[in-house]
Amino acid sequence: MTTSPAGQEPGIVVRDLVKTYHVGEVDVLALRGVTLDVYPGEFVALTGPSGSGKSTFMHLVGCLDRPTAGTFLLHGRNVAEMAPRSLSAVRNKEIGFVFQGFNLLSRTTALENVELPLLYSRERARNRRERATKALENVGLGDRLDHHPNQLSGGQQQRVAIARALVNEPRLLLADEPTGNLDSRTSIEVMGILQKLNVEGGLTIVLVTHEHDIAEYATRIVTFRDGRVRSDNPVVTRRDAVKELVALDSQPEMEERTA
Amino acid sequence: MSLTMTILIALKALRRNAMRTVLTALGMIIGVAAVIVMVALGNGARASIESSIRSAGSNVLNINAGSFRRGPVHMGAGNTTSLTTADAAAIRDQVRGIRYLSPGVNLRTQVISDSSNWGTTIQGVGPDLLDIRAWAMEHGSFFGEPEVRTAAKVAVLGSVVRDELFGPGLDPTGATIRIRRQPFRVIGVLTKKGQAAFGQDQDDAILIPYTTAQKKLLGIAHLQSMIVGAEDEVPLEQVSADITSLLRSRHNIVGDQEDFMVRSADEMVNVLTSTTDTMTYLLAGIAAVSLLVGGIGIMNIMLVSVTERTREIGLRLSLGARDIDVLLQFLVEAIVLSLAGGAIGIALGFGTAFGLGSFMGWSTLVTSNAVLMSFGFAAAIGVFFGYYPARKAARLDPIEALRYE
Repeated sequence: MTTSPAGQEPGIVVRDLVKTYHVGEVDVLALRGVTLDVYPGEFVALTGPSGSGKSTFMHLVGCLDRPTAGTFLLHGRNVAEMAPRSLSAVRNKEIGFVFQGFNLLSRTTALENVELPLLYSRERARNRRERATKALENVGLGDRLDHHPNQLSGGQQQRVAIARALVNEPRLLLADEPTGNLDSRTSIEVMGILQKLNVEGGLTIVLVTHEHDIAEYATRIVTFRDGRVRSDNPVVTRRDAVKELVALDSQPEMEERTA
Repeated sequence: MSLTMTILIALKALRRNAMRTVLTALGMIIGVAAVIVMVALGNGARASIESSIRSAGSNVLNINAGSFRRGPVHMGAGNTTSLTTADAAAIRDQVRGIRYLSPGVNLRTQVISDSSNWGTTIQGVGPDLLDIRAWAMEHGSFFGEPEVRTAAKVAVLGSVVRDELFGPGLDPTGATIRIRRQPFRVIGVLTKKGQAAFGQDQDDAILIPYTTAQKKLLGIAHLQSMIVGAEDEVPLEQVSADITSLLRSRHNIVGDQEDFMVRSADEMVNVLTSTTDTMTYLLAGIAAVSLLVGGIGIMNIMLVSVTERTREIGLRLSLGARDIDVLLQFLVEAIVLSLAGGAIGIALGFGTAFGLGSFMGWSTLVTSNAVLMSFGFAAAIGVFFGYYPARKAARLDPIEALRYE
């Protein structure tokens, strides 16, 4: 088990979580009893082969699905007992989602994409604009407000998605393979943004990835196998995306010198 | 999400597939326009019948000799000989509120002038008819009581008869025509009046004193009909009831089998428009079927839209949309589609009805009722056919929706 800031209650409390899917006549055991705590300010990477249950676990944590058995407390509340309407509010206000495929609405500007969660929390139009602009500025896209997704690079699109996830100032960010569709340099950029949010903003992040080097940007790696937690270790030598980017930028010069 | 925002999003989604939106709305447009045009045609026909009956005077009663039964034989209408000049006099004297009364005896025969001949209706009437109908004279004058008393052989021509016998626009006053070999002196021509409600030409007739028709042409003593013009102050129903009871007592009628009929203009309207009403309902019904087909088109395209936007729905759910938000989003889209189609359809229906009226000369009448009804119907179709796809969208599982390829 990992160490945690003393005196803090865990934001996510999971005990013996079981999830069964019915596929045709067959019952698929996706989770077979997972127990896990995530404390505020942690950056947890969930890894494991496909079918190991890491995505199912994240859907449960994201309140997109309900567990078959076991308990899941999010910020002290039992999700299984919550009404659908409250779950929508939780997804809207307490959780931010980032997906592998960005999932931006096409033919809709970056700004309008980021405003989307604010529409569902019935924010006033002027506030919406202000907050969405600020969120985009925070991910370095202040000059791309009126661009449509097809006018943006993959890295920029994922940054819009991150801005959208954070616009309602959630306490928890869930990222499902956020670098899966990106090249390595852009992946480092995106991980840099997540690290900054985690370190400077104290945002709790749960990241699903099957790439081990991406997981090393986190503070803790939880490995899933066959619906169970196989290992749960803190990252000893954490990668620093900002430093790597600086190093990457100076490389061409080094090549020139050696040449 | 607020309703304004929902409507804006719906408009945006519809604009995104402009061609598809137009084609889908076309079903509604045609359906609504068809309903409006059909109802307009039916109402127009009804209105023209009504106006031509009412132009004959709204406070007018028609009394016709009715059917009668002699033993087992039930004779048709107009076969009784019981309606008499004495009845007419009694009605004039005893019923309160009678302003005008014109007895009627009709026949159809050939009329000969010096240069031409023409088959037409000879109407034996009283001098009051001119006032009851509010007709005017083009040439000469109408006959009065002296001509009736003496059964004078004088004739007033309708304009069509004048055109046929003497030539259009001529003044034949003073000329002689022959009706059943008897010479009649033409004393006047009526101004042109046009078609009557029944399709018969009001101008294709010759008016003569009813006494002349009885004695000189038919050799009968009874009347076929009477037209009564009532005073405005007395209710027409009252006059009608008084005439009925007077005639019943004069004809010694005990049971419910009367040998005469008293009808007001209202009753005539009802009798004559019942057929047009049936046609209107039939045509509007057929048009409503096309509206229904338009609604099915909307449901079809909304189902396609929900499938296409499955990922978007999953995303919206994950960002905190409630199922009611998603339901409303698609429902509003369907309603906007059908209402926009309905509005354009109303405009098109108006235009078509107007065009039929002014270019084809058909009488059309667009009533606010028809417009409201088809607009309401369009909205109802939007809700009805939009609900199923919208509910399907709202019930999507967010995870599966997000994974949908």
